[in-house]
Amino acid sequence: MSPINASLGSRTFLAIEKKFNLIFNDRLNPFYHLGAIAYFLFWLVVATGLYLYAFFETSVLGAYASVETITHGHFYVGGVIRSLHRYASDALVLVVLLHMLRHFSFGRFRGFRWLSWLTGLLILWLTYASGINGYMLPWDRLSQFVVTASTEWIDVLPVIGGSMTRNFISNANVSDRLFSLLSFIHIGLPLSMLALLWVHTQRVPHAQTLPPRPIMWGAFYSLSLLSLLLPAVSQAPADMSSLTQTLAFDWFYLPSYALIGQWGPVNTWLVVGGLTLLMALLPWMPQRFEDQAAAWQLSALPDERIILVRAGETLLDAGLREGLPMPYECRNGSCGLCKCSLLHGQVQLQAYQPSALSEEERLSGQTLLCCAQAFSDIDISYVPAVGTNAVPAKQYLARVSQLELLCEDVMRVDLRLSNDGSLPFHCGQYLNIILEDGSHRSFSFATAPHAGGDIQLHVRLVAGGRWTPSVFSTMKVGDTLRIEGPKGAFRLRADGDKPMIFVAGATGFAPIKSMLEHAFHIGLNRRMLLYWGVRHLSDLYLGNLALEWARDHANFTFVPVLSEPRAQDYWGGRTGLVHEAILMDFPSLSEHQIYACGSAQMVEAAYPAFIRHGIHSEDCFSDAFYFSPLKVALAHEVDPGKLGGILA
Amino acid sequence: MPKPLPKYLQFVLQTMAYAAFATVLGVFSVWPSYQQRGVNEAILKLSFSHSGQLKFACRQRDAAELAKTAVHMRNKMDCPRERSQVLVELDMDGQALFRISTAPLGLNRDGAATVYRRLAIPAGPHLFSARLADGPDGVIHFSSDHKVDLKPGQVLIIDFLTGSNGFVFTGG
Repeated sequence: MSPINASLGSRTFLAIEKKFNLIFNDRLNPFYHLGAIAYFLFWLVVATGLYLYAFFETSVLGAYASVETITHGHFYVGGVIRSLHRYASDALVLVVLLHMLRHFSFGRFRGFRWLSWLTGLLILWLTYASGINGYMLPWDRLSQFVVTASTEWIDVLPVIGGSMTRNFISNANVSDRLFSLLSFIHIGLPLSMLALLWVHTQRVPHAQTLPPRPIMWGAFYSLSLLSLLLPAVSQAPADMSSLTQTLAFDWFYLPSYALIGQWGPVNTWLVVGGLTLLMALLPWMPQRFEDQAAAWQLSALPDERIILVRAGETLLDAGLREGLPMPYECRNGSCGLCKCSLLHGQVQLQAYQPSALSEEERLSGQTLLCCAQAFSDIDISYVPAVGTNAVPAKQYLARVSQLELLCEDVMRVDLRLSNDGSLPFHCGQYLNIILEDGSHRSFSFATAPHAGGDIQLHVRLVAGGRWTPSVFSTMKVGDTLRIEGPKGAFRLRADGDKPMIFVAGATGFAPIKSMLEHAFHIGLNRRMLLYWGVRHLSDLYLGNLALEWARDHANFTFVPVLSEPRAQDYWGGRTGLVHEAILMDFPSLSEHQIYACGSAQMVEAAYPAFIRHGIHSEDCFSDAFYFSPLKVALAHEVDPGKLGGILA
Repeated sequence: MPKPLPKYLQFVLQTMAYAAFATVLGVFSVWPSYQQRGVNEAILKLSFSHSGQLKFACRQRDAAELAKTAVHMRNKMDCPRERSQVLVELDMDGQALFRISTAPLGLNRDGAATVYRRLAIPAGPHLFSARLADGPDGVIHFSSDHKVDLKPGQVLIIDFLTGSNGFVFTGG
């Protein structure tokens, strides 16, 4: 079950968005596309600005006259374009502010989002700076006010000390060169914005940079209509020898200038600077303990991928970042398209519309990818988006660096990637060896990820198999193989405190070895038991290593189990089926976790028995397929060839 | 799941939403108007950028001092770059408006001293008296009186230009 974390701000937004969903439906709700709408408005401002720039004269005498000509002398075109430029700029401020407020309300500014938040803040100020700079250009009474107020505001800063205002102190002081400079700034600032927008958007996987067309048309038509009904016009020409009493004032861009008039420039700097500093520091402000997220692993079915979910990141963002074909549309907890099953672990849901996920669904273990943040390592199962393909596992060329016969029918094969490459993986995962005809054979990594160096595989000989016999006959050091990986969602759950029982069947020992070596490496002090089931004593091909672990780690116990001990084995230990040995030792498994890797038959036989002995389905993990009923349903999709490489 | 609205009603409501959006933009981009001065007020701007006199007089270096200096730096005269603070006083109708002492700009305090003040004053006839001291002794070297009848909204700029031999009263 996913608990919900909803602040007052997010609940307010949700209430408003619910109304808008009725009017627009969740696909076209403008609140879900604020960032993309800001992009659209930006481009609209740029496009209309290019037209204006083509006819604008950068001189004291020409500026006002040229803007008047554009407004009144270009039939309707110039006036509408000027008005669109103005109103789209106003709308941009409004939308950017709403966008930031929404992310703030939903707490989407912490952790890895700090860069997006900071660049967003810079974009906001650049938007203001561009707009304010734009108001200087028509050289009317408002321009006069804006240049005077701006230079006075800047002049109170140390070092500048009053010298900037003198550029605009009288009509004689204002030069054509100043206008060229102002025009240059009006191009430079939006270009800087564009560069920052690029950085801002990079952090959002599959970021939308244009809203759906109906929203674009809606915004365009409404702004155009406004431009026709209430065209933006100049006020009287600037005249530094006098000051009008009142000004028509743009409250979207100039509220801080009204504050300067009330509080003075120094106090306004303190307020604006303090507010900016506060907003910039928000991502690092302390938060309530229960809200503190961390980075966790996410195992995704049906992809069989393990990915990292960063602190504060939604599962959807993490999945999209890693190329998982997760379904989504609104990304705001409204459409419900990203609903998935939470199979294991803890998530916290940000506020969402109840229509997207009913209470019954939530209580039954379903969650929303776009609203869920991980609070432990988690497993999910989702239905991939129609028509999308997962990013295929990366392929590598690897050279056989070592061959060692571990026992009669198990070969240790070490692989070294070409060009000294590396293949990052999680303990428990596997790789595919791609054969010439494109088919593949799967083998688990037998070393822990931290070990680095060569990849170690345990290959068991399958009589009559297509590939494994060649490992034992013709393969030699230096041979090149094509491999792909990492794959698989079988992994160690380091969170929690339950004792862990590892069940290995034959070469199912390989991923278990990787997990145990990882557990020892990170100093996991939970109780750990390894039951390794084989037929004969000689099949315990790394039995001495397991005994060594037991000697070195007090919290680890090794229990070898032979199913068919031979007379020459002189075996006095446990015999029978490996899972039966566990059941005998643990009449109740309710407080344990089990990691099983072996043949599908072994796993199939063990699962119901473990369940009867009280193990919780969410505490059973297997390389073959998941134990829980939901996961068992996926068994037919799983290639058993990956089970520790037991089949060829 | 709430029942979806009929299409026509959605269209009408969407149109209204966009209209409301446009209305908000249209209204607050020009209204309410901003009052930048009082009804019967004129504006006074005191603004100048003036380099004060050198704070210290040049002096001749003696032979011992020169001997300690690198050969290529043996300038016989030592002229410190630091300039004096500039003091400006402005009275209106016999009442003091400003008394500002400004340090020169620059790390070595060798730049110009810059002053800018803007003040709304009642329109009408006024007598302004401006005084400036720019030497190390702080003695007033420049002073000027100026009578002017200011209309509402009129801007009076009081500048100081060395080339014009003192204060300049202009109308912007």
